[in-house]
Amino acid sequence: MKQPKPSATALLQGTLDVLILKALALEGLHGLGISRRIEQISGGAFQVKPGSLFPALHRMEEAGWLSASWGESENNRRAKFYQLTPAGRRQLQDETEQWTRISSAMAQALETS
Amino acid sequence: MAWWHRMKMLWRNLARKREVSADLDEEIRAYQAMLEDEHLQAGADLATARRLALLETGGAQQIKEEVSDIRLGVTLETVASELRQSLRGLRRNPSLTLLAILMLALGMGASITVFSIFQAALLQPMPFREPDRLVELWETRLARNIDRSSFSLANFWDVHDRNHSFEELAAYRYDNANLTGVGEPQKVSASSVSTGFLRTLGVAPVLGRDFVDDDVRGGSESSVALLGNAFWKQQFNGDANVIGRTLRLGDRAYTVVGVLPRSHVWLNDQIYIPFGSGPNMNRGSWEFSVIGRLAKGVSLEAASIDLEQIAASLDQEYPQDNKGMGFLLGSANEWVARTNTRLALWVLLGAVGLLMLIACLNVANLLLARGTARHREIAIRAALGADRTRLTRFVMMESLLLSALGALLGLGIAFLSLRAMQTLQIQGLSRLDDASLNPWVLGAAVFIALMTGLLAGLAPAVHVPNGAITGFIRDGERQTGGRGANRLRAALVTGEVALSFVLLVGAGLLIRSFTELVNVNHGFQSENRMLFSVNMPSSYWQDDSGKQFIDRLLGQLEALPDTLAVGSISHRPVEGGNPGMSIATHATTADAAASHWAGWRITSPGYFRAIGLPLLRGRLINDQDLSVWRPRDKATPARHVVISAALAALLFPNEDAVGKQVVLWKGQSNLNAEVVGVVGNNHERGLADNPALTVYIPYGPGALTSEFVIHTRGNPSGLAPIIRSMVAGLDPRLPVADLRSFDDIVHRSVSPQRLNASLLGVFSGMALILAMIGIYGVLSYSMSHRTAEIGLRVALGASRSSILRTTVVQGMRPALPGILLGAIAAWWLSQAFANLLFGIKPFDPLTYAAVTVLLSLTALAACYLPARRAMRIDPAVALRAE
Repeated sequence: MKQPKPSATALLQGTLDVLILKALALEGLHGLGISRRIEQISGGAFQVKPGSLFPALHRMEEAGWLSASWGESENNRRAKFYQLTPAGRRQLQDETEQWTRISSAMAQALETS
Repeated sequence: MAWWHRMKMLWRNLARKREVSADLDEEIRAYQAMLEDEHLQAGADLATARRLALLETGGAQQIKEEVSDIRLGVTLETVASELRQSLRGLRRNPSLTLLAILMLALGMGASITVFSIFQAALLQPMPFREPDRLVELWETRLARNIDRSSFSLANFWDVHDRNHSFEELAAYRYDNANLTGVGEPQKVSASSVSTGFLRTLGVAPVLGRDFVDDDVRGGSESSVALLGNAFWKQQFNGDANVIGRTLRLGDRAYTVVGVLPRSHVWLNDQIYIPFGSGPNMNRGSWEFSVIGRLAKGVSLEAASIDLEQIAASLDQEYPQDNKGMGFLLGSANEWVARTNTRLALWVLLGAVGLLMLIACLNVANLLLARGTARHREIAIRAALGADRTRLTRFVMMESLLLSALGALLGLGIAFLSLRAMQTLQIQGLSRLDDASLNPWVLGAAVFIALMTGLLAGLAPAVHVPNGAITGFIRDGERQTGGRGANRLRAALVTGEVALSFVLLVGAGLLIRSFTELVNVNHGFQSENRMLFSVNMPSSYWQDDSGKQFIDRLLGQLEALPDTLAVGSISHRPVEGGNPGMSIATHATTADAAASHWAGWRITSPGYFRAIGLPLLRGRLINDQDLSVWRPRDKATPARHVVISAALAALLFPNEDAVGKQVVLWKGQSNLNAEVVGVVGNNHERGLADNPALTVYIPYGPGALTSEFVIHTRGNPSGLAPIIRSMVAGLDPRLPVADLRSFDDIVHRSVSPQRLNASLLGVFSGMALILAMIGIYGVLSYSMSHRTAEIGLRVALGASRSSILRTTVVQGMRPALPGILLGAIAAWWLSQAFANLLFGIKPFDPLTYAAVTVLLSLTALAACYLPARRAMRIDPAVALRAE
C-alpha cells in the first residue's frame, strides 16, 4: 500500500527528496509547480503523482527542510507554497555531492569493460 | 535544533489535528483546481477539465491517508485511538469486563504477594557488605557419616590463624543469659562471638565501637558487650548514654561498648559478648558456628583446597579429636532461607504462576467468545481497509488493557494481603517484614501484566479473520463462530483443567502431608502441659545449689492442687536445641565404625511421666541415680542412663538393652554407663524429624535442667502468675522465660508446613473456581447457539434425558483430557517437592483420586446451568426465533 508501484517513471528510492529540493532551489513553489518543475528539469523523465508528492512534502516539512505558507498562485488561486529552509539547502548540497559521487562512480563502473 | 522543530511538529500534529487536516484538504483542493486551470488553458471544456483533473489527482482521501501515514506521531495516535476504541468496547460489555478484570486481579494479587515474599527472602541481598563473599563453614567427619557439624573452639582458632583464603573468619555460639538490674529480671539472647564477628559481616556499630582484641586479651573472659538494635530501643529507649553502662548478666558484669545497626534477620540477638583465643581450648566438643569473608578474588573452590590442607595437618597433629576431619564451605544464601524454605518458596511461586496462567486462559477464552460474537464488527473494519496487523493490534490492545486494569487491582490486593500477613505476624516465613512492593516487585508486576495481556490476547488475535471477510458479513446475525474458534476454546478449557489439576495435586499433597505430620504419633503427650524455662546462673553449676533449686521448684509445682506430674529437662522438646554424642556398646569399644550418633538430654526422674513418655523396659531414672559427671576426686559409682526404644534397637538388635553397658561420648570422654531402662520413641526434635535416638542422663549437681514441664488436670494456662511468683520466691534474680503450653509449641513448630498447605489450598481453590467459570463459559456459549438445533430435536421427539446427556457430554469433553494431562504433569512436577512431603510419596493415590473426583464434579457442576437451560427449550419458541 505504501510502496510506490514500479513503472517507467518510478523514482529511485530517495531520489524524490533530492528532486524536490532541487526544484525549490531557485524559488518557492506550490505543489503543482513543484511537479511541473521536476518534469521540466528532468526533461520529462520524472512525473510526480500527487500520491507521492504530498507525503514527501509533508515529511520534508516535518524534517525541517521545507517551510510552507499560503500564498497566491500565478492565476490568483490560493495555494500552499514551499520554500527551502537553511537546513533544506544544506541537505540539497549534501545530497547533490553524494549523487555526483555515486553517478560518476556508476558511470565509471559501467564503462569499464 | 532539529529535534526542537520535530517536537513542534509532533505537537502540531497531535494537538491541532483538525486544523492540520483541513489545511491538507485545502492544499489538495487547490492542486486540483490548478490542474483544472491547466486543462482549461489547453482548451478543454469545463467538464472535461474537471474530470481530467480529478483523474490525475487520484483519490483525495487516499492521498490524505498516505500523508497522515508519514506524519510524526502517527503510531502514537493510532494507539491512542485504538485504546479509546478498546475502552469503549469494554464499557459496552461491563459484565465480561468486570469478570475478566476480577479474575486477572485475583491471579495478579496472589502472584505479586508471593513474588514480594520470594524476593525478600531469596533475592534481596543481605544487609551486609558484599554479601556474595560471605560463606559458612562446617567441620566434617565423612568416614563417620557426619557431613556437617559445628566447630570446636580450638579448631576454629587454628583455621583462623592458618588459612590464606579469608579476609576474616569468625565463630559464634548462641547462648542465653539472665539480665538483672534493668527492670524485671529477664532472659536475653546473648551470643558469644569471636572479636572479628562484625568485621566479617562488614557491619559497624551505629553507636560506640566494635570489639577489639584487647577486650579478650590472653583468653581472659570478656567484660564488654554490644547491644542489638531492637533490644537497645526497647530496653533503653534508644538512649545514646547507654555506652559505658554496666549490665549484669548472670553473675558477671559487662560494660556496654556499642550498639548494632538495625537488621531484620540473622543479626538479631539482644546482646553480643566477645571471646578470644587462649591456651587449653576445647578441641573435642563441637559448639561453634563459623562464618567467613573470602578474601578478594578467592573462589569458593580455592578456599576449599586451602581448608583441605589445614584439615590434613590438624588430622596429623590432633589425631584423637580430628581423625578423618574435613571442612565444608557453603554460601551465605542459606542463612536466611534453608534448603527446604527455598524449595517451599519456589513451590509457592510455581503455584501462583499456574494460577496466573489459568486466569490468563480464562480471559483468553472470554475474549475469544466475544471475538466470535464480534466477527461482523471485525469484518466490517477489515472491509473498510484496516489491515491484519491493525486488527491484531486492536484485539491485543483489549487484552492488554484488561490485564493492566487487573494488575492495578492486583497490586492493591497484594498490598493489602502483605499488610495483613505482616500485621498478623504469620509464622513460617523468613524475612516477611522485608517484603514490600519495591521497584523490583513493581517491575515484576508490570512484566506479569504484559505477559498476561499478550498471552490472553494471543488466541483471539490469531483468530482474526484474514480471508473470507464477505463470508463473515454474510453470516450476519447468526454468529455461529468458526469451528476453529470453538475448538480453540475447548483446548483452552482442557489446558485450564490440566493446570488446575496440577495445582490441586500440589495443594492436596501438602495438605495430606501436613495432616500426616500433625497426626504422627508424637510419642509424647502435649495436652494440658505447660512448659517454661529458667536459665541457671553459672554459680548454680559450681555446687549443689542448682540441683537444690530445681528440686524445690519441682516440689512446689507438684504441690499445686491440679498437678498430675512435673519434670524437667535440659533441652526443650520440639523447639529446643539438640546436643549429640557418639555412643557405642561396651563390647565394641575398639571399633570406631560401630559407634552411633545419639542425642542426649539431662532429665529429672519425673520428666517421663510429665510428658507421657511410656516406660517400655527396665525402670526410669530415680533419685538415687547420680549424674554421669562428677568431680574427679570422688570415686566413680555406676552411671545409669535411660535410652529411647529406637536407640535400644540400634545398639542391641534382638536383645534386651536393660542391664547392658554403653560408652557415652565415645572417642572423647568415653564414659561407661549402664542402661537401666528403655522408654518409648518420641519426636522431641520436631514432628518432621525421625523419632529421636536419645540418651536420658540423670540430673544432679553440675548437670542441671532448665526446662520445666507441668502436667495438670485441666487447662494449665492460668498457672503463669503462680509459676512466676514461685520462681521469684526461690531466687528473685531468675526470670521465667518462654512460658507456653506444649500444644502451642507443637502447633508453632509446624507453622511453615501449615502456611504452605493453606496458601496452596487457597490458590488451588481459586484455580477450581476459575476452571469452573471456564467450562461453564464455553458450554453455555455453545449451547446458546444451538437453541434452534435442540428445539428441532425436541420437536422431533428427543427425550429430555438425551438432551441432558448430549449437553453434559459436550461440556465434559474438553475437561476429561485435561484431567489426564494434568495427572501426567502433576506426577512429573511433584517429584520436585518430595522433600517437602512428610509421610506420603509424591505419587499419593488418594490425593490423585480425590483431585480427579473433585475436578470432575466441578466440571459437572459447571454443566448444570447450561444443561438445565437446554432441557427447558420450548421447540415452538426456539424454531420461531430462527
